[in-house]
Amino acid sequence: MFKKVLIANRGEIAVRVIRACKEWGIETVAVHSNVDADSMHVRLADESVCIGSHQPQNSYLNISSIMSAVDLTGAEAIHPGYGFLSENAKFAEIVKKHGIKFIGPDSKIISQMGDKIEAKKIAKKYGLPIIEGSEGGVKSLSEAKSIGKKIGYPILIKAAGGGGGKGMKIVNEENQLENLFLVAKTEAKKFFGNDELYIEKYFKNPRHIEVQIMSGKNRTVHLGERDCSVQRRHQKLIEETPSPVLSKEQRKDLLEKTVKMVEQINYEGAGTVEFIYENGKFYFLEMNTRVQVEHPVTEVQTGIDIVKEQLWIAFTGETALNQSDIMPRGHSIECRINAENPALNFQPSPGVISVCHQPSGFRTRVDGSIFQGCKITPYYDSLIAKVICKGRNRTEAIQRTLRSLDEFVLEGITTTIDLHKKILNHRKFIKSEFDTNWLSKEKFY
Amino acid sequence: MKIEKKLIKELVDNLKEFNLTELEYQDGQTKIKVSKASKSIEQSKGNIVSPQNKAVLNTTDNSDGIRVKSPIIGTAYLAPEPGAKKFINEGDKVKKGQTIMIVEAMKTMNHVPSTNDGEVKKILVEDGQPVEFGQTLVLLK
Repeated sequence: MFKKVLIANRGEIAVRVIRACKEWGIETVAVHSNVDADSMHVRLADESVCIGSHQPQNSYLNISSIMSAVDLTGAEAIHPGYGFLSENAKFAEIVKKHGIKFIGPDSKIISQMGDKIEAKKIAKKYGLPIIEGSEGGVKSLSEAKSIGKKIGYPILIKAAGGGGGKGMKIVNEENQLENLFLVAKTEAKKFFGNDELYIEKYFKNPRHIEVQIMSGKNRTVHLGERDCSVQRRHQKLIEETPSPVLSKEQRKDLLEKTVKMVEQINYEGAGTVEFIYENGKFYFLEMNTRVQVEHPVTEVQTGIDIVKEQLWIAFTGETALNQSDIMPRGHSIECRINAENPALNFQPSPGVISVCHQPSGFRTRVDGSIFQGCKITPYYDSLIAKVICKGRNRTEAIQRTLRSLDEFVLEGITTTIDLHKKILNHRKFIKSEFDTNWLSKEKFY
Repeated sequence: MKIEKKLIKELVDNLKEFNLTELEYQDGQTKIKVSKASKSIEQSKGNIVSPQNKAVLNTTDNSDGIRVKSPIIGTAYLAPEPGAKKFINEGDKVKKGQTIMIVEAMKTMNHVPSTNDGEVKKILVEDGQPVEFGQTLVLLK
C-alpha cells in the first residue's frame, strides 16, 4: 500500500479521506490555505503544508503550490476529494507526469466526461439511453429551430463546457428561441470560455437517480443507486438509497446497463453515472469521475468503505470487490447540513460555532469537520456536515434521521437542520411524491 | 495571616486594565490569585469573532462622505469577473441601487448596491480583499 498520501482538499471530505488512509496505515499530508490553519483536516493529518491565501485559486486550486507540497513531504499519491481539482484533467496529467499517483481515472477519461457532448456520445455508443436532442454542438439558430420542431417544446439549451446548473436556458415555445439561444451563447463564452451549445428535451417532473460504480482493470461493479431528487438551485440536499420510485425490473436494467458502459471505457476507481428519471424511463445525464458528497449513503447501505476501496484500486489497479458480495440492505438517508439560512433564501451564514453537539446512536453516522469553537469562513462551500442514517426500511430511516437531527445542536451559525426536519415530516417526502423542482415551489417558511 | 485588601484591589485593577481573565501573584509564602467569572470569557470570545465590526460600527458619522457598507462577510470583487471592467472608478457618478461591488460568500455572489446617488470619492478595498460585515467599501460625496 502507499506509504504517504497528500489530500488536495479541505473540510469534511479531507477529514473523510484522512480517516480512510489512517485505517490503511497510510501517512497523511494535509494542505491548507492560511485561513484553514486551525481546521479539522489539518489537526488530523500527520503533516500539513500551507499552500496559499484564502482565495481558492491561490491555494486549493493552485497546482504548482500543491506539487511543491508533494515534493516537500515525499507523498506518493494525491487524493483530490470532490470539487476543486478533482475533475481537472490537466492536474491529473501533471500529477502523473511527476511520477505521483492520481487517485482517480486517467486524465483522458476525466477530460472526455468533462465535455458534456463527448460524454453523451460515449454513453450512447456503449448502450445507455440518452436525452433526446442535438447529437453534438448546435452551430446555428436554424439548426436549433429544426431540433426544437423534431423533439417538441419545452427544450433546454446547455453549454458544452458548463455544469452545476449554470448557463442553462429553458425555452417554452419557438418564439423565445432566438433570444435565449443568443443569450446562452454569450453567457457560455463568458462563463466557460467555450460558446458551444447543445440542446436537450426539457423534463418537467424529473427525479435525479445515479449509480455508484467501482472499477479496476479486472472488473467493474455497482454499489446500487442513489435518489437525489431533493434539490435546491440544482444542488442536492437529501439523498437516499434505494430509490423509492424504481421497480425491481427498472433497477436491474439501470444497474446492468451502467456497469456495461463503464466496463468498456477502461475506467479506474470510484465513479458515478447520473440519470434523469421521468415516467418510468431513465436517460444518461453525466458521469462524475470522482468520489461524491453523498457517497456515505451507499457506504452505510452496503457496508463497503468507498474511499478505502479507492485507495486500494489506485495502488493495485484492481478492485477487490465482487458483485455477488455486494448486498445492500434496508434504507439509508443522508441530509446535507449547510451553513445557510433556509428561511432567507439560503443566505450564507458564516461565523463561529459556539456550541456543537453532534448526534450519535444506533445506525447514525455524522461526517463533518466541525467542532466547538471552529470558525466557518465565508471563503468556501457552505457544507459543514452530513447526517447519514440507516433503517430496516424507509419509514425507520426517516424516523431515525429525524431523531438524529433533533439531537444535533449547533449555535453561532444558522444551518439547514431545521429545513431538513420540515422536509422529512412533509407528506410529499414521506410518500415520495416529488421531483427535483419541488423545493423551489414548496413554501417551508 | 493578614489579608492585604490593598494588594488584592491593585491586582483586580490590573486585571481590568490589561483585560486579563486571571492573575497570580506570589511574594514569599503569600500567594494571591484573582480571576474574572466565566461570563467575561464568553464576552471576550464574542469580540474575537468580529473585532473589526465594532470599530466600523462606531464610526457611523458621514462627515467625510456617505459610506456604502458590506452587507455580508466575504471576499470583495471590484469587477464582475477577472480582467473585466470595474463596476466603478473613483470620480464616477453612481445612482442609488447601482451595483458597486460583489461580495462573495460561500460561492454565492452578492451584488452590493449603492445606497445613494453621488460621486465615488474613494474605494476603500482592493480586489480580492476579505471584508467584514458592516465594513465600509466605498465613500461617496
